[in-house]
Amino acid sequence: MPDPALSIRLYRWLLRIFPATFHDRYAGAMESAFRDELAETSGIGGLTLLWIRLLADLARSIPVQIAREAIQDGTHALRLWSLNPWHTGFAIAALAVGIGGATGGFSVVHTLFLSSLPFHEPDRLASFHPNEFIPPHDSSTEFHRWQRQSTYLMSAALVEEKDVNLGGAHEAIRAHAARVSWNFFATLGAPAALGRAFVLGEDSPGQNNVAVISYGLWQQLFAGGPAALNSTVHVDGKPLTIIGVAPSGFDYPRDTVLWQPAHYSAGNNGWATVARLKPGLSWAEARAGFDADVARHSPNRGRSADPLPRMRSLRDSLLGSSGAASLMLMAGVVLVLTIACTNVANLLMARIAGRTAELSIRSALGASRTRLIQQLLTECLMLSVAGGLAGLLLAAGIASIAARVQPPPLAALSYSILDGRILAFSLAVSIVTGLLSGAFPVLSLGHFRAFATAGRSLTAVQVALTIVLLTASLSAGRAFVQLMDKDRGFDPRGIVTVNVSLEGTSYEAGKRQLVYFEEALARLRSLPGVRSASATEFLPLYSTGFVGGRFGVDGNPASRGSTMIPTMADYIRTMGGRMLQGRDFTDAEVRSGARVALVNERFAVAFGGANEVLGRQLTIGRTAGWKIVGIAAGMEFETDPSLANSNQVFVPAERPGGFFSTFVARTDGRAEDHVAAIREAIRSVDFQVPVFGAKTMERRLNDFYVQPRAYRTAVRLFAACAALLSLIGMFGIVTHAVVQRNREMGLRMALGATPAQVRGMLLRQNLTVIAGGAVPGVVGAFLSGRFFEHLIPGASQVGFAASASLAVPLAAAASITIWIATRRIPRLDIMQVMKTD
Amino acid sequence: MPPPDLSLPPAHFHILLSLGAGDRHGYAIKREVAARTGGALKLGPGALYGSIARLLELGLIEEAEDRPDPHLDDERRRYYRITKLGRKTMQLEAARMSDLAKLAADRFGRPKHA
Repeated sequence: MPDPALSIRLYRWLLRIFPATFHDRYAGAMESAFRDELAETSGIGGLTLLWIRLLADLARSIPVQIAREAIQDGTHALRLWSLNPWHTGFAIAALAVGIGGATGGFSVVHTLFLSSLPFHEPDRLASFHPNEFIPPHDSSTEFHRWQRQSTYLMSAALVEEKDVNLGGAHEAIRAHAARVSWNFFATLGAPAALGRAFVLGEDSPGQNNVAVISYGLWQQLFAGGPAALNSTVHVDGKPLTIIGVAPSGFDYPRDTVLWQPAHYSAGNNGWATVARLKPGLSWAEARAGFDADVARHSPNRGRSADPLPRMRSLRDSLLGSSGAASLMLMAGVVLVLTIACTNVANLLMARIAGRTAELSIRSALGASRTRLIQQLLTECLMLSVAGGLAGLLLAAGIASIAARVQPPPLAALSYSILDGRILAFSLAVSIVTGLLSGAFPVLSLGHFRAFATAGRSLTAVQVALTIVLLTASLSAGRAFVQLMDKDRGFDPRGIVTVNVSLEGTSYEAGKRQLVYFEEALARLRSLPGVRSASATEFLPLYSTGFVGGRFGVDGNPASRGSTMIPTMADYIRTMGGRMLQGRDFTDAEVRSGARVALVNERFAVAFGGANEVLGRQLTIGRTAGWKIVGIAAGMEFETDPSLANSNQVFVPAERPGGFFSTFVARTDGRAEDHVAAIREAIRSVDFQVPVFGAKTMERRLNDFYVQPRAYRTAVRLFAACAALLSLIGMFGIVTHAVVQRNREMGLRMALGATPAQVRGMLLRQNLTVIAGGAVPGVVGAFLSGRFFEHLIPGASQVGFAASASLAVPLAAAASITIWIATRRIPRLDIMQVMKTD
Repeated sequence: MPPPDLSLPPAHFHILLSLGAGDRHGYAIKREVAARTGGALKLGPGALYGSIARLLELGLIEEAEDRPDPHLDDERRRYYRITKLGRKTMQLEAARMSDLAKLAADRFGRPKHA
């Protein structure tokens, strides 16, 4: 017979799982009943049978009792809440901020790091950046020989992205396409949803007139029907046969809707490589193989200033900088969560202090300490679940900001909070937060004074943090206003822009591009509400692919290069630019290819100013010059301030429509109202020409600065949350003080102080907490200024005075909070207060 | 018109039935119930004290302050006593059960070898 003491100890321990009241009342009786049963049991078999019966009994009865007491405690908590609506509201708000922030942050981290990529065994996929290493690719044979002989890769595929004109049965659209080696889909492990992927040899000349389209494009062009297969699609005018449809959600590389076989050539350096590691090979082994490969194929690499080529996991290369940014976001929200948690603890302590009288009565009536703790924790869990639900709104906000700042790299990934795992995370955080915020007050039972000091210091820290964040939001806000209102040498208001591309259309040959542009401009100019219209090959803000060179005057080159901007007639006026001398091109000059040019002010200054260069010859190298017919204020083409306002020369467009041609129209009234009509007017010239990017210039500015705008929103959101939390912290400590110093205040009022004077005293005392946080806050704002300058483009240091002045509204809001927290003082019954002690 | 079905759960019924014969502590109730039902209703301690807590809450039983023999007894044992409300409930329950038993006997008769 085993030691009965062991059984009794074990049973006693199991009884502790019962909720407090039940345990307090019946554990003793149950234990003695157990002793009796034990005494009547003999042998191992009997004991085993007894334990089986007991365990089954406990498994049934413990949940029943827990539910019973939880319902009692919950009802009790709801009654307390209705008695203290401010307290409860603030606690829920603080938890909503904390848990919502954490959930939002997690949804981003989850999407980027934890969700699976739409590829087979994505963790075995690697990628090489085209700037670092491109495998041999002069021909299909050469590339595939390389990838087949690789010692560390099972297979590798080349990818090149390109915007193309997609002509279907009806009309052409502009689309993002990728040129890939035949084994692209096989390497990624993405089977076709319909038809087939490319097969061996389809990236060789003569066999490469095939394409795979995305699931989305299949729906759009063929309504998801089987007719897609073997249909013809025109890519930049070239007919390709559709052989397959990619799986749903597959749009790699970013936003690709069509894949066609690679066109190999020696000079091409835009190839990215995706590869799958050889089975059984570790990443370290594969990297060693890669390094040897790099040394063999590009021996000069590594000696230059270029970073050493690295083989990254596909996930890392898809994440880029957004990975680090999202981890920073997560760190930030964890901080906020901690603050929220301590705030709620603070509020709860204030309430417990207020209930000490009630508690001592209850414990006299037999409510045990465990029972009180259980009640408190139940209340905390209810608070945090309520806060968690409210926090889902904030979480959705964070996810949408994140989607604008750092869009997910694949369509299959999106920041959504409506995901089982995210919601489970939110629930788990709610529970942990509830338990943590309950733990402080439980530990503090009996040590209120020490915790009150801790509460005050904590609020001061929050005030400091709030000022840092408010300052940052001020600086981000100013930076944004400056960014939007900046003089860019053109006036975005009233301009409508529309892109076209003549690639692969019947206008591409000969000089028919000009015919198209002239016809489109004629239609635009005749539209009601259009004051002037023109077109350019390089619209401001879109600086990619500029051409230019060392232009000069009369054969003397300038000391620095100029960018060359081909335009149609009337461009400067239409853009709202400033003509300093001379005039725009005329239609006749553009049509005849006249050798005339405009230069910008900066260029002119290098040659003695506008008056000096007007009428002279603009030259480059030995080619015949262009006569300078006008000098315009420079337009800002680059968004990088360090590159802005370079030397610029404008020449009549000879063959527009090739790369990034944009029609611009200056309109009367709201530009938005004219977008549709202008787009249609251009489309009507020829439906086979894809017309895209129809939007106002202001909209383009907005789109371009979506990241700084989102940063501004994010910083404001964080600042607002911090301010809210510090006010809640303030409310907590003041309520606590009112309850704690009940007797002192009663005494003061008995001695003739008015309630207003007592409240004023509390106000003064607690405003010192604000002051105590404001000073380090202003210093912190100054010190962190550089960090925000770095993070937010265009943000600049906000002065001490401005940052210090932020403490004023904060103090005002805190005063109101304190006044609310002390609202019970006038109702204090002095005699009652004196009697209780 | 049959009385409304207010039947007590079997555990409650048997606990009250035991207490009808005098105050008992939990373990005694349990043993008595097991004996009476021929082992068919075995109340584990959790179920027993869960039912006791519920009956206390409903006011059908109460704790007995005086113990039959405090010297011989484990002081942690609690004794229970049926209340007036408890007796009334059992009377109603007994009436209801006998009505039902009579109805059943009228319809089906009694077994021949009983």
